[in-house]
Amino acid sequence: MAPKIFLVLIFLSIGLVAKSQEGALTVISNQRGAPAILKYSELRSILMGEKQRWRNGSKIVIALMKTNTATGKITSEKIYDMSADELNKFWLALVFQGKAPAPAFFNTAAELQNFVSQNPGAIGIVDQLSHSDNLRTIIIDGKSRIL
Amino acid sequence: MVISLRTKILLTVITIVMMFGFFTLIYFPAQQGKLLLKNYNNEVQNLANTVALGVKIAITEQNFEGVQTAMEFVKDDPRLQFVSLVQYDTVWNNNRTKYGIKHAVFKTFPESEHPDANITSADSIIVKRSPFSTSVMTGEVLLAFTTKEIKESKRKIRTTSLIVSGGVFVVGLLIAFWLARNISIPVKALRNAALRVSEGDYSHRLKAFSNDEIGELGVAFNKMTDDLSRSRQQLNETNVSLSNANKALNDTLVELQSAQAQLIHSEKMASLGELTAGIAHEIENPLNFVNNFSEISIELLDELKQTKLNLLSAEDKEEAENIIYALVQNLQKITHHGKRADGIVKGMLQHSQSSTGKKELTDINKLADEYLRLSYHGLRAKDPSFNATMETDFDQSLDEINIIPQDIGRVLLNLFNNAFYSVTEKRKQPQQNDYQPTISVSTKKEVDKLVILVRDNGNGIPEKVLDKIFQPFFTTKPSGQGTGLGLSLSYDIIKAHGGELKVETKEGEGAEFIIELPLK
Repeated sequence: MAPKIFLVLIFLSIGLVAKSQEGALTVISNQRGAPAILKYSELRSILMGEKQRWRNGSKIVIALMKTNTATGKITSEKIYDMSADELNKFWLALVFQGKAPAPAFFNTAAELQNFVSQNPGAIGIVDQLSHSDNLRTIIIDGKSRIL
Repeated sequence: MVISLRTKILLTVITIVMMFGFFTLIYFPAQQGKLLLKNYNNEVQNLANTVALGVKIAITEQNFEGVQTAMEFVKDDPRLQFVSLVQYDTVWNNNRTKYGIKHAVFKTFPESEHPDANITSADSIIVKRSPFSTSVMTGEVLLAFTTKEIKESKRKIRTTSLIVSGGVFVVGLLIAFWLARNISIPVKALRNAALRVSEGDYSHRLKAFSNDEIGELGVAFNKMTDDLSRSRQQLNETNVSLSNANKALNDTLVELQSAQAQLIHSEKMASLGELTAGIAHEIENPLNFVNNFSEISIELLDELKQTKLNLLSAEDKEEAENIIYALVQNLQKITHHGKRADGIVKGMLQHSQSSTGKKELTDINKLADEYLRLSYHGLRAKDPSFNATMETDFDQSLDEINIIPQDIGRVLLNLFNNAFYSVTEKRKQPQQNDYQPTISVSTKKEVDKLVILVRDNGNGIPEKVLDKIFQPFFTTKPSGQGTGLGLSLSYDIIKAHGGELKVETKEGEGAEFIIELPLK
């Protein structure tokens, strides 16, 4: 009986881990411009358009998945704490107010990673990093993924 | 009031030009303005729709800079007043029982403009709205264009219309004057020509005006005038011909009437002649007895006086001589008047008998001159105090004419005697001291006849007896001085020669007898 319970617990723990990994986000950036480590508050400030230049002075370029994608919805909810429409309206207002350049929105993670890898200073949020030479994962508050 | 053709043409063209002017100055600019405004509204609306579509796509695609780009799609248009993105927000009351839709201007370009979300079109701007709806936001694109260009276009249209109208007006006036001149002048010329033709002047011709209908009218008019002229000429010729024929007919009628009168006269004269001849023949024998026995009685009385009267006493002898003297006187009167009666009878017999003379070539000038002097000297023998001027004008070109000289001589003698008698009678009238008795005799040759004129300046012949002077026994002379057979006999002699004896007279001024004898 005990081994069965153990197995059950193992599967449960695996399921919980898997569950906890589902909806996690990875912040990636171009090798040039963005630092390797950021605080979450810094990340949020950057993604809210409040901070628009890296420490070295290069321009920050934000790349997000479209809000009609799963990653886009998770991003708006977890990072922006907004619904998808609210996020869009937020950025529309910022753009119209001239306070920040609009982020680049993508349909697939591959497109997003490709964009980030080709634009120095670019920072993006994907569900998981696929390997790319010119990309790196930014550590947020010591973690590589935002849960 | 009569309006001339020229005025009518001018009025017509000016009316058309005025109507065109009204169209180009008022109606056309108004319609063009409306069309421009309509097109402009459509254009602005289409632009607003385009911008709205771009905004919708950009928002849907989360291309927020694309939204701005879409809005700036019209930024380079010089007519742009502003373009705004208006957001519709649902506003609830505090109890969330009712809500309203609030229109808020989300973004405007250029930023210097701050339009009200409910702004509408006005004179200076045209405002168009194009709504859009996305999951992010619902709203509308508010696009405002100035109407300066429309106004400028309208002004240009008005200016152009004014210039065109002015041009058309001037051209219209020129055309009107040209038309009036090219229609009115030929029509007036046609009218004047028609008047001249109506007055009988067919020589007038119209000049060729043009090659159009008016020109053809002129040509037709000229042809009509030619035809009329020819017709009139033919009519005149026919009239002349008819007139000549009529004159000839009249002349023939007059001649016929004259011939008829002469025929009647001749018949009458012939009857008279026969009657006269018969009477004369019957009277002649008794008259011979009267004359012979009266002469014998005178001889017997003379013989008685010389032989037997001496046997009587002185007293008886004286008485017997007185009786014998009276008887002789009576017998002498019987003899005298018997011879006179014998003369008349012989004249009557001469009248009735055809001439016994023969025609021979005779110098008529010489014959006339001879008988004129014979008549004059005969009268001088009877009355030595008689005196008269004789004028002769003989045509020396006259050839000898074939006549019976004794007969024509008797005619001339009769006429000369009558003429001398007439001037003698006039000279006897009181208050004729300055009167110079004149007898003129002239001859002349005409185409186919010889004319002898015997003219006197005596008392002339009264009109009332003019038609009787050629009748036998008609005379104006006192009894015993004319038998009334001279002119009658003369008339018959001239007629017998195939000629005419006529008289022209004016009472108190004289008479002219005209003898016409045929040359052949």
